[in-house]
Amino acid sequence: MSEYAENLRSAFAQRRYERIASIVDSTVIKGRGEIFTLTDMLDQVFLNKHLGIPIFLTVLWTMFQFAFAVSEPFVVIIEKIFEMLGAWSGQAISDPHLASFVSLGIFGGLGSVLVFIPPIFGLFLALSVLEDSGYMARAAFVMDRFMYRLGLHGRSFIPLMIGFGCNVPAIMATRSMDSEKDRMITMLINPLISCSARLPVYVLIAGALFGAAYAGTAIFAVYALGIVLAVATALIFRRTLFRGEPSPFVLELPPYAVPDASSSILHMWSRGRMFLKKAGTIIFGMTIIVWFLSTHPWEETSGGQVIAESYIAWIGHAIEPVFQPFGWDWMAAVALLFGLVAKEVVVGTYGVLLGAEEAGLGEALVSQELFTPLTGFAFMAFVLIYVPCVATIGAIAKETNSWRWPAFALVYQTALAFIVSGVIIAAGRLVGLS
Amino acid sequence: MIRAALIGNPNVGKTEIFNRLTGLSQNVGNFPGVTVEKKAGRLVHREQEIEVVDLPGTYSLTAHAVDELVARDYIVLERPDVIVDIVDGTNLERNLYLTMLLLEMDANLVVDLNRWDMVAARGTKIDVEKLSELLGCPVVPTVAITGKGLEDLKNSIVDIAGKKAARGRRAAQNYGNDLEQLISKVEEIIKEIPELTSKYPERWLAIKMLEGDESVMEQARASLSSSQLAKILCIIEAGEAAIK
Repeated sequence: MSEYAENLRSAFAQRRYERIASIVDSTVIKGRGEIFTLTDMLDQVFLNKHLGIPIFLTVLWTMFQFAFAVSEPFVVIIEKIFEMLGAWSGQAISDPHLASFVSLGIFGGLGSVLVFIPPIFGLFLALSVLEDSGYMARAAFVMDRFMYRLGLHGRSFIPLMIGFGCNVPAIMATRSMDSEKDRMITMLINPLISCSARLPVYVLIAGALFGAAYAGTAIFAVYALGIVLAVATALIFRRTLFRGEPSPFVLELPPYAVPDASSSILHMWSRGRMFLKKAGTIIFGMTIIVWFLSTHPWEETSGGQVIAESYIAWIGHAIEPVFQPFGWDWMAAVALLFGLVAKEVVVGTYGVLLGAEEAGLGEALVSQELFTPLTGFAFMAFVLIYVPCVATIGAIAKETNSWRWPAFALVYQTALAFIVSGVIIAAGRLVGLS
Repeated sequence: MIRAALIGNPNVGKTEIFNRLTGLSQNVGNFPGVTVEKKAGRLVHREQEIEVVDLPGTYSLTAHAVDELVARDYIVLERPDVIVDIVDGTNLERNLYLTMLLLEMDANLVVDLNRWDMVAARGTKIDVEKLSELLGCPVVPTVAITGKGLEDLKNSIVDIAGKKAARGRRAAQNYGNDLEQLISKVEEIIKEIPELTSKYPERWLAIKMLEGDESVMEQARASLSSSQLAKILCIIEAGEAAIK
C-alpha cells in the first residue's frame, strides 16, 4: 500500500513545502545573512576533527569527578548518621525483635543504600546539564565516526550516555532511532553501561580493598570494562544477529544554551525520584526479606546474633559452590542472588549481614577478610555484568514487545559475567595475585 | 478546564515552554498502550484552569515512528481544546511543515514563534500579523529561556479555547487544483461513513488515504464497504498515474 501511493505522497509533501515557501516569502525578511553566533564559535572547537574526542573525554572525566568528588563529604555525613541511628536504636528499643529490625534491617540495610543519594543525584545533575546545554548532541556527533566503525549508530550514543545514570530511561531513549537493527543492538548492550545503581557496590568494595588512593582508579577501570564489553558485544551482534551497515546518521545540533538551573534541577529530580522510589519500595522490601532470613529462626540464631545459623546462611551455603572458584564466600553468593532484583541490594544485603559491627561496612569487609583485591575486583566486574536488574529486563521486554530478547539479554549477560570474572581471577593468579 | 497540548520539532525549546507554563505541577505517565512518556501539568490563567500535555517532539506525523503516531493519535482522538505548536523562529521553513500537518488535522492551533531574540539578533524581520492571517491562527512570539511572551501565549490559549478552528484557514492549505480535486472526491465517499467522520476530520482522512498512510488505511478497510474501498483505491490509482 505505502509504495503504491509513492507519487502522491511526494506530491503532497512538495505542495506543503511550496505553501510554506510562499508563506515565508511574504512574511519574512531575512537579516544580512547568518551572523557568526557564539554557537558557531563553540562548534568550531567542540566539533573540531582533532580536538573533538579529547574534549569529550575530558568532559566525561569531569562529569564523574563532579559526581563522586563533590558528593564525597555528604556521603560520609549520611553514613555517620545512619551508623549512629543504627547503634542507638539497637540499644534504645527494648523489644529485641523490633530493635534488630530497626537497627539491622532499616538503618543497616536500607541506610547503606540511601548513603548513595549524593553521588547518584550528582551524576543525574551532570547528565542533565550536559543535555540541557546542548553539548550531548555534539558529543554524539563527534563520536559518530568512531561509533560507525564499531558497527554502532551515532544516535546510539545518547542512550548509552544516559545509561550511566540508569539503563531504564536509556533503553526508552532508543525510541528516537529509526533503524530497528541499530535500536536492538543499542538496547541489548545498554545494560553493560554501568548505571548508578551499581556504583554503591563499587564504592563499597573498592573503598574497602584498594584504599583511598586507588579506589577511584579501580572504579574507573570497572566503568571502562563495561564500555569495552559493550563495544565488543555490539561488534559481535552486528556480525551475527543484526547484519548490515548502520543507517546514515542525521542529527540536528541545537544551539548551545546556558542550562537553566531550575530546569536542570527539575530534570535531575525527575530521574533521581526513580531511585528514591526504588529505595522506598523494592530495595526496602528486599532488605526486609534479607533481614528476616538472616535473623531467623530466632532461637537458633539467638535473636539474630549468630548469622551462621540463619536461613540466609543456609541458602548461601547451598549456592556458594557456584562462586567458590572465584574465591567468594556464601555472603557474596546471597548478595548476588538478592541483587538480581536491584543491584543496590548487594550493598543492602551486606549492610544487614555485617551491620552488627560497630565499624563501617567497608572496615567489616576488610576485617573479616571476605575479599582480596583480586577477588574483590572480579566481584565488581561480576556485579557490572551479570543480569540487568528487573526494571531493565522489563524495559527491554516492553520496548521490544517480546520476552525473547529480555531472556536473551539475561542469558548472554550472565554467561559473560562468569567468563569475564573467571578470566580476571585466572589472569590474576597467573601473575601471582591471590 | 481547558485541555492544551504542546507539540513542536525537537530542539525548539518545547520543554522550556512546558516548564515555564506548568512550573512544578508536573506529573509523568505513559500514553495509553505504549511506553512513550506523557508529561502533563496544570496552571491557572485568568481564572481558567489549563491542563497542558507535552507531546513528543517530532518533525512529522507519519504512522512509522511510535512517538509520531502517539502525538497524532492524541490530537485526532483526544481532541484537545488547544494545540500549541512551538516553532523555531530562526528556522521557519523547516518548522512550518509540522504546522501544515496540524492545520490539516483541523487542530485548534496557536503557533508559538520561539527564539524571538535570536530572530532579532540575526536581523531577520517576521511579519507576525501577516503570518497569523496566512496560517489562520494566532501567532505569538516568545523567548522561552527568559519567559518573554509567555503571558501573551497564555492569553492566546484561553482566548482561542472557546472558539472553533477558524474556517478561513483553508486558504493556508491550498494544495493545487489536481490534488484538491482528488481530496474532494475521497471526502465525498468518506462523508457517508459516520463511523469515520465522527472520529476524524474528513479532509485529513482523505489526505492520509491519498498518501497511503498505513494506520488510516487499516481503519478504512475496517469501516468501509468493499465497493467504497474499491472506489477510493480507484481514485488513488488514477491520481498516482496522473501525477508524475
